[in-house]
Amino acid sequence: MKKRHEQKLVILSITLFVMINIPFVLVFDVPGAIAGIPILYFALFSIWLIAIIISFIILKRHYE
Amino acid sequence: MSNYLLFIIIVCYLAILFLIAFLAEKNAKSKWVNNPYVYTLSLAVYCSAWTYYGSIGNAANSGISFLPIYLGPVIACPLWIIIMRKILQISKQHKISSIADFISLRYGNNRFLGALTTVICLLGTVPYISLQLKAISETFEIIVGTPAATPNRFFDDSTFYIAVLLAIFAAFFGTQKSDATEKHRGIVTTVAFESILKLIFFLTIGIYVTYYLFDGTQDIYDKISVQADFTSLATLNGLEGGFNWLFTILLSFMAIFLLPRQFQMAVVENNREKHLKHAIWLFPLYLLLFNIFVIFVAWGGTLTFGDTTKSEYFTLLLPLQNNDTFLALLVFLGGFSAVISMVVVSTLALSTMVSNNLIIPYGYLEKFIQSHPEKNSSYIKNIRRISIFLIIIAAYIFYVNFSIELSLYSIGLISFVIISQLAPSFFIGMFWNRGSARASTIGMITGFLITTYTLILPFTLDSFAGFRDWVDKGFFNINMLRPYALFGIDFLSPPAHAFFWSLICNTLCYLFFSIIVKGNYRERNYAEMFVDNKNYFSLQDNVLVWKGEAYVADIKNVLIRFLGEERTQRALNLFFLKYKLPQNTQLADARLINFSEKLLTGSIGSASSKILIDSVIKEEEITLPEVLKILEESKEAISKNKILSEKSEELTSLTSQLKKANEELILKDRQKDEFLDTVAHELKTPLTGIRAATELLQDESEMPAEVKDVFLNNIIQDTDRLSRLINNILDFEKLSTDRQRVVMSKNNIKITIDKAIQSIQHIASKKNIAIRLKNQQTIVLLYNEDRILQVLTNLLSNALKYCDSETGIIAIDYKRLAGYLRVRVKDNGKGIPDEDIDYIFNKFYQSQDQNIIKPQGSGLGLAISKQIIEKHNGSIWAEKTYKTGACIVFKLPFN
Repeated sequence: MKKRHEQKLVILSITLFVMINIPFVLVFDVPGAIAGIPILYFALFSIWLIAIIISFIILKRHYE
Repeated sequence: MSNYLLFIIIVCYLAILFLIAFLAEKNAKSKWVNNPYVYTLSLAVYCSAWTYYGSIGNAANSGISFLPIYLGPVIACPLWIIIMRKILQISKQHKISSIADFISLRYGNNRFLGALTTVICLLGTVPYISLQLKAISETFEIIVGTPAATPNRFFDDSTFYIAVLLAIFAAFFGTQKSDATEKHRGIVTTVAFESILKLIFFLTIGIYVTYYLFDGTQDIYDKISVQADFTSLATLNGLEGGFNWLFTILLSFMAIFLLPRQFQMAVVENNREKHLKHAIWLFPLYLLLFNIFVIFVAWGGTLTFGDTTKSEYFTLLLPLQNNDTFLALLVFLGGFSAVISMVVVSTLALSTMVSNNLIIPYGYLEKFIQSHPEKNSSYIKNIRRISIFLIIIAAYIFYVNFSIELSLYSIGLISFVIISQLAPSFFIGMFWNRGSARASTIGMITGFLITTYTLILPFTLDSFAGFRDWVDKGFFNINMLRPYALFGIDFLSPPAHAFFWSLICNTLCYLFFSIIVKGNYRERNYAEMFVDNKNYFSLQDNVLVWKGEAYVADIKNVLIRFLGEERTQRALNLFFLKYKLPQNTQLADARLINFSEKLLTGSIGSASSKILIDSVIKEEEITLPEVLKILEESKEAISKNKILSEKSEELTSLTSQLKKANEELILKDRQKDEFLDTVAHELKTPLTGIRAATELLQDESEMPAEVKDVFLNNIIQDTDRLSRLINNILDFEKLSTDRQRVVMSKNNIKITIDKAIQSIQHIASKKNIAIRLKNQQTIVLLYNEDRILQVLTNLLSNALKYCDSETGIIAIDYKRLAGYLRVRVKDNGKGIPDEDIDYIFNKFYQSQDQNIIKPQGSGLGLAISKQIIEKHNGSIWAEKTYKTGACIVFKLPFN
């Protein structure tokens, strides 16, 4: 895997760290629910799932 | 359910696991055992009973705080592409068998650091294992429906027997070989199998609660959200809760690398680096699936039972409440799987560490040196087996005395905080070459002491002796020293608080002392190997800088003690072969010392192997600058070597190219000679005829007029032939030497063919031969009309030549094929003999039987035609399958 593509994963990791930590995560810290899932949980699980998809795509394309 | 029935089920389940492990060991090379999915599932040993039961308890009581334990690994996974790969590469290079080995080797094979790491791991893991036993015992109780035996009669306690069974399993499959770096495929496969089971059963109970007991997620949410304390369950609880959240994420981020069981599965048991490709995204997916239904089961339980005192076991209580005993049993087996994999892998990892980093380097070495190889090997295995049993017994004792009072979640977090003390030495040490052994030791001890003061001690005193006074008022009643609120920071939860203080002090000590105290040269040598592992990898055994006196025979003696005569000899032979040394080398060099240390590392750990090898060699002190200089030089030498070999490769390829060109030139030269020979011969034949005729005419003045006419006719014919020949030769040469580019224009093939027929029609009608063109359609394509006309005329006149007059028929047709136009000229003449068919397009090739009669052409016609067609990027050939005459076909491309 080329350095550039490795760095994509590193940036993904940094983004994840920022998005699911304070203060950013307080954005989702509001009452209410989507389809019975409280908004905070819903946001976290969505970010989680998106991160999985992104790393899957990066690895699928660029891992030799 | 009856006590005995459940115990029988458990034993049957264990028997199945034994069988799986046994089969996997037997087929250790099979792709069913070695694939990225098994690797990823084996990493799921992370989800122990703590996840399986503890998460739900935590979600029911304090809401979202169960989640950061899994978010840390989710953040860590993308980073594996750099960090985990580096760890894997280093561990493979140095045959590392545990995290204690890794840390001790990084700091120059430091014996004390290895032991310290082991002790920290032990203290962190034993409570964790006891947590698993607690889960087993309590779930057993729930399923059976009666309280378990009182703890002081352990022989009545089923948990004790289960613990012993697990120890037997770990000892049986974990210590088959004395080399700890050997893979344990059996254990890995069972862990992967159990990971599937626990996930499926956990999802089943999640779906059962959410969609069977309740009416989907919305239903549960609507019912729970009216409860008074609901907001605290679904939110972060402000900034203070946010800090707990942050520290727990950091904690789990470190734990996924540092927990002995994770290191065992991810690094030691890894057999292909490329498994990471799948693990990096699959492992977070596994964790995601495991967490989706947690809140709904927790809330469903809270709604059903009205309180959260037994919330950790909602997954069992809910189906039992509804008389679904079988489902409860499945859930129990899922939790049991989580327990088995955690306990087995942890004890395996710890036993290796205890034997290789604690017991062997501190005491057993002397004994080994005097003993026999077979005995040594069984000693090592026995040390590990005894360690496994001792660790599990220690966990059982801890469980009986401490954990009964505590929740699963709190024990797990204490373990994480203790293990995280390895983080600065581990992570910073991997990327910073100045981190030194002493600084690492000081950092770890400081961090551990702070953890003890702020977490372990108050927790133990509280739960064991109910002694809270000291916790509330602080040491000597000093308010600043309250263990849960050191220096007034009182808003963090105890684990987050302990983690914050211990890790800050640990890191600062590590950094500070690394700068203050200069490391010794050996330490720096290893630091360079770890930090710059990619570059040093190419140096292989040259990485160790060593000066002094050592003999091969001495080293061999040490190796024989552990590996046996045969393996030692084989390893040494390989070594000598690799470095092109004579087999009877007497003096050992740095490479052999590094090689032998690595050979022993798997069996007795890196620290012990260094001590052993050091005992038989005499080392001279080297200064740190010297070490760095030597390393730099050998690195340079390697890179120069690389450049040289690249250059020589280039030269080789150039030489072969030249050779090829030369051969081609020789061939061309020969062809030229042949061509000249033939041309001279061809020109000579008509010339001789002309010469003979003119001489006759000159000598015989009395010749009758009609004879004279015959001779003169001959002369004219021969001159014609001569000039035709010369024209053809010039034409052919022009075409073949690329001097002439054919000018293309759009033309209609029908018109061109008509023209060709017209030009030859009068000869054909003279011989009474019919020329037929079947097609009428117009096909326009790019070609040079004059040249194609030349080809057609040539083919037609050839056909005329070989057709019998009166009966001869020549047929032309053309057809549009994919990308090509195909033109065929067929006749019903005598055809082309099979032996000639491959040569008719050669220059001056004339059919055999023409030798007896006077040649009718120059012998260049078809050769010129071929040149022309090739100039058009087409091809021409004679159809071999056509038997009733000759059939010449050519194809022209459309573009």
